[in-house]
Amino acid sequence: MSTFIKDFIEKEKISRRNFLFASACGLGSVAAIGALGPGMARAALTDPTIAWSYRNRTNPYWNEIVSGGEAFVQSLGMTKDALTHLINEGSSEKSLADVKAVLAKTGGNLALAIDTNDAPNARPVVEAVAAAGAYVSTLWNKTDDLHPWDFGDNYVSHMSWSDEGPAEQTARILLEAMGGKGGVVHLGGIASNNPAIERLNGLKNALKDYPDVELLAAEPADWDTQKANQVMSAFLTRYGDEITGVHCANDTIAYGVLEALRAEGIEDMPIVSYDGNPQAVQLVAERKILATVFTNPHWGGGITAALAYHAAIGSFKPSEEPNEHREFYGPTIMVRPDDALEFKASYLDSVPTYDWTDFWGPSNGPIVYK
Amino acid sequence: MATIQTADKAGTWVGIGRETLVKWAPLLVLIVLCGFFAAIEPRFLSTRNFARILIAASPALMVATGVTFVIIMGSIDLSMEGTVSVCAVSFAFCFLWLGGTLASWAWLALPFAMLVGAALGFVNGLIHVKLKIPSFMASLAMGFVGTGLAMVMTGGDRIRIEDELFRSLLTERVLGFPLMVYVAGVFLLIAWFIQTRTTLGRNFYAVGGGEDLAIASGLNVSRVRVLGYTVAGVFFAVGALLAVGRIGIAETATGNDFMFLSVTAVVVGGTALWGGIGGVWNTLVGVLIVFVIGNGMVVIGLPGYVQDGVLGILVILAVILSTDRKSISFVK
Repeated sequence: MSTFIKDFIEKEKISRRNFLFASACGLGSVAAIGALGPGMARAALTDPTIAWSYRNRTNPYWNEIVSGGEAFVQSLGMTKDALTHLINEGSSEKSLADVKAVLAKTGGNLALAIDTNDAPNARPVVEAVAAAGAYVSTLWNKTDDLHPWDFGDNYVSHMSWSDEGPAEQTARILLEAMGGKGGVVHLGGIASNNPAIERLNGLKNALKDYPDVELLAAEPADWDTQKANQVMSAFLTRYGDEITGVHCANDTIAYGVLEALRAEGIEDMPIVSYDGNPQAVQLVAERKILATVFTNPHWGGGITAALAYHAAIGSFKPSEEPNEHREFYGPTIMVRPDDALEFKASYLDSVPTYDWTDFWGPSNGPIVYK
Repeated sequence: MATIQTADKAGTWVGIGRETLVKWAPLLVLIVLCGFFAAIEPRFLSTRNFARILIAASPALMVATGVTFVIIMGSIDLSMEGTVSVCAVSFAFCFLWLGGTLASWAWLALPFAMLVGAALGFVNGLIHVKLKIPSFMASLAMGFVGTGLAMVMTGGDRIRIEDELFRSLLTERVLGFPLMVYVAGVFLLIAWFIQTRTTLGRNFYAVGGGEDLAIASGLNVSRVRVLGYTVAGVFFAVGALLAVGRIGIAETATGNDFMFLSVTAVVVGGTALWGGIGGVWNTLVGVLIVFVIGNGMVVIGLPGYVQDGVLGILVILAVILSTDRKSISFVK
């Protein structure tokens, strides 16, 4: 009840202040609308259902994300089955339909963590959640004009990653290893994916400082090991010995590239990748990959659910937080051969126990729009 | 081309001319494609590049060979992605459990994976025949079940197979081609043997060519169908083993893309989707066409998204070529 009274007093304060301001300008009606709009504080929920909506678990990345969500639920003293899984299988329509169904089932008593599959789908999802009085935190996808602070408390936060900077850093490591000359090929993600575009841009930025290195080709390999294997084989036919370095958009692509090179008996090609999957980190330790970037999906998946949950039960009030606590970049850690084993021991072999109430500690600054 | 001219002159030969054309068209397409890519980039024709194409094609060739039998029967099997994943993952678990090297009892994991494939195909066939669910739906559903099963088995993890002896499938070369290419060749010959030299093989054609007739002749069509799916399952398993041999990783995603690749390859190779026509050699040519395009496009430097478009157009062309549209009263 205390939160209710606190909220009530707060609401009174806001409407009185708005009233004074507005009546001074002769616009009393605006104040009334403002006080009743989505900015209005609501009573917190008790024991909300915690749900994660995502693509599927076959993808190692999403598997890590959801395991973070499960770890968070376990930290609350529940079994990991207490986390509701909404699996959209790459369909935005299913993503939205699932959210509406679970909102109806729980009567709005819901803390939702979601990747809405594509950016335009974020708005209807957030609107549906806000209308039901539930709480949502989003990951990766949202349009640039959609902001948590426009929805009061119900749209808690959005986390994303900017890959251009880290991809440029790995590219520099690669180009140095190539001795600043020769030819580099890039194997990218699905052509229209934002991270795929950013990671290629990172390489291009780095190349500006290395005029003697030629970007021979950049082909999409769809984040897929087998596709990457075939594309790399074809690159070897086309460029042969001209290739002296490979820039991969992620680890699964790097595995395919390594095997394509192995088939040809090439063992010492400089390669860099991205994502920091356990197997890739092992390969970095063995110096078969020179660098990968860890984005800590386990923490990302857990903290997204934690933010929605703690906002829902009233542990903190999102609308009182600064904007950089509501739209922020996730962590990035560069993994190099020298520190790979240490990194593996502290992050992968035993998943660290995170403090799921330290919402912003490992994050990486506010999201910047271009 | 000479055949066509003769056929035009003598009206009675029209059928034969068309048949000859349809029979050899896929091979012609393959040769033209190779010539086209070689003209733009001579390195396309090197032995090493053909080895690369064949390495990429071997797993898909096995999967496509399996589905060829089912398509000859006039049915379709879309369960390959799930079956390949389950077989790959079962193989990996069994292989590592039994010692993790081919030099030990772990070689038993190879036949074990094929048994798993056979079992999945058998269930697939039973569901289709006994529950009378259209093969398209039954097998697609079984494919999803397989993907889910592989997911549950691995928990989303990827399993590495590091054994040098098993990986020699990729790393050991004879006459410039890795061992896996020869393995695929041997299984292709086995498939050809099944197709031409066994009762079962001829029964596939009987069922696909005219099921009513086959039933009237006393053929147990249900049995043939279930066996067809079982044989297909074994070939999917061989495809899975080669896929693991090529990448060294078994995971739920091992089966990805095999449905599109193999059905495209079978159709492009000239095996008709309504059954009774085609065979494993058509499938070989079809698989080669698909992978020559994939490799050649990158080799001559065309962007990746053009590849899918070109493949789509080829499928339509292949169906146009292999269909005598005058004999079809309606299309559904």
